[in-house]
Amino acid sequence: MKHHPDSNPDRPQSDARRAFLRGVPVLTAAAVLMPAPARAAEGGQHWGMLIDVRKCIGCQACTMSCIQENAVPEGSFRTVVSTYAIKVEGGDQPAGTYVLPRLCNHCDEPPCIPVCPVSATFKRADGVVVVDGDRCVGCAYCVQACPYDARFINHDTGKADKCTFCAHRLEAGLLPACVETCVGGARIFGDLNDADGELRRRMEAAAGELKVLNPGQGTRPNVYYIGLDARFEGKVEGQGTLWRPRAVHG
Amino acid sequence: MNPDIVETVNVAREVAWLPWAVQYFFLIGLSYGAFLVSLPGVVFRRAGWDGISRLALLAALVCGLTAPVALLADLHQPGRFWHFYAYFSPDSWMSWGAFFIPVYLGGLMLYAWLAFRPLLASHAAAGGRLAPLAGWLAFGGHASRNALYGAALLAAIGAVLVALYTGVEVMVVRARPLWHTPLLPLQFFITALAGGIGLTLLFRRFAPVAREGDAAVLRLARALALTQAAVLAVGAVWLGLGLSGLSAVHAEALAQVAPSASWQLTAIWAAGATALTLLLAWKRPGSGLLIGLLALHSAWMMRWTIFIGGQEVPKTGAGFYTYQLPLGPEGLMGIVGTAGLWIFLFVALTTLLPLERLGRPQA
Repeated sequence: MKHHPDSNPDRPQSDARRAFLRGVPVLTAAAVLMPAPARAAEGGQHWGMLIDVRKCIGCQACTMSCIQENAVPEGSFRTVVSTYAIKVEGGDQPAGTYVLPRLCNHCDEPPCIPVCPVSATFKRADGVVVVDGDRCVGCAYCVQACPYDARFINHDTGKADKCTFCAHRLEAGLLPACVETCVGGARIFGDLNDADGELRRRMEAAAGELKVLNPGQGTRPNVYYIGLDARFEGKVEGQGTLWRPRAVHG
Repeated sequence: MNPDIVETVNVAREVAWLPWAVQYFFLIGLSYGAFLVSLPGVVFRRAGWDGISRLALLAALVCGLTAPVALLADLHQPGRFWHFYAYFSPDSWMSWGAFFIPVYLGGLMLYAWLAFRPLLASHAAAGGRLAPLAGWLAFGGHASRNALYGAALLAAIGAVLVALYTGVEVMVVRARPLWHTPLLPLQFFITALAGGIGLTLLFRRFAPVAREGDAAVLRLARALALTQAAVLAVGAVWLGLGLSGLSAVHAEALAQVAPSASWQLTAIWAAGATALTLLLAWKRPGSGLLIGLLALHSAWMMRWTIFIGGQEVPKTGAGFYTYQLPLGPEGLMGIVGTAGLWIFLFVALTTLLPLERLGRPQA
């Protein structure tokens, strides 16, 4: 019986090295394509996000990548990093910067869903709250009902628009664009049902520090924060900014 | 406001319920308010209400027919209005509203037609403008009291449902504390009734009928004064609940707007206009022109402040958004366009049913 060359335990070392070198490009390509930490497994997922505010540098790369990925019209945003100048007591400098990435919280009790008069907005089995663009009438009732100001009317489509956790990317086994481009690694995305996944491990490691926005609204958000200052949990009591990007009617 | 925090970068969420929505809530409120004023004379045949109740019915009809167009225009996908009927969603007050509006308007149009048939026949017989059309619409011109009662009942049920849904639809939005107060539907209702009375007074003012001591105007002025007293009383309860902290939702609503100078001015203006209307309606009703205009002003301003002003309060960001009325269809032209449709319908209906004929007491 003839042995296959690869199965020969006595094959020369140079053959093994050649085989290894041949495999490097494959390994490299696999590493690049691997959507760690949360590759969409088959069924049973409950997608969620953890935002470590301490790691956010306020670069707005997430904002820009979201706009590019989802063709968000000029002046509208599915995600943004709200930025604040805050007075610092007892420090070397008088003021500091606080940044807070915001997006749809994909709540388990989403107030945007029951108000929809045509049931166009719904929560998928994997926890993602989406809008059926073929059914939406653009009444903006959901825009009013969202306590996170996460929805808007898309003037290119005339329909309600919002973050979908990049559902189309999830289906392809990819991470949401904002997570993919986060420079500081502040956004961790994954399956809340996967006890061994990075999301759950990071959440458990920070158990005492985990917070959500607007907890009093009872919406049960699936976007969690580490390092969320209590002054920024709800409506921020501060001086409004002088310039804000604003959607323009087309 | 906390001076230690300055927002440097954030998004301004634009007003999503446009001035069209203000026009809808204003006009549908005037419609059901005027409809209620039509009942004493047209249905219950109360002495002295005859002419003025028919004028009120005309007001209800003109406003009621204009309102749904404004509502449709506020949709960003108006061509999909049929989705409301194809995908009924019982958890949504707006979905219910899509069914309540036809009940009200269907009942109102039937009620108005039955009430006006004899007058249309008189207009046709007298050879007035568009007499053939008036004669055709009169369809014999008989007064069918039983049918009238049935249609009025249907319209009344529809009016109650519309008043209920327009108030609760806004009240249930917990994300906007200014809207999320249980007194809001009541405030909408009282100001709508006041607006309906005010518009009826204006029609009466411009109807070339004998003033007969203006007893009808005095009667409506008294009713208007009562509504204004009710508006002030409910406003005082709202403020009291907010200031005392007895009601958390009112306290939260008050806390959102109280620090703002423009909101303070708005509150003073609204309270002052209401008090002035009350005083004039009670002491010097005059021809009804001034108090009628004041009542309409208060009803519109209340809705503008609630809807547009309410959307200027960010849910998460600091400070307030600033709203500038766009000049196009999403702003000024929406208001002008609604007014234009209202005027067209008013002219069309008063061509067939002149104010003089409507306002004249019947023998």
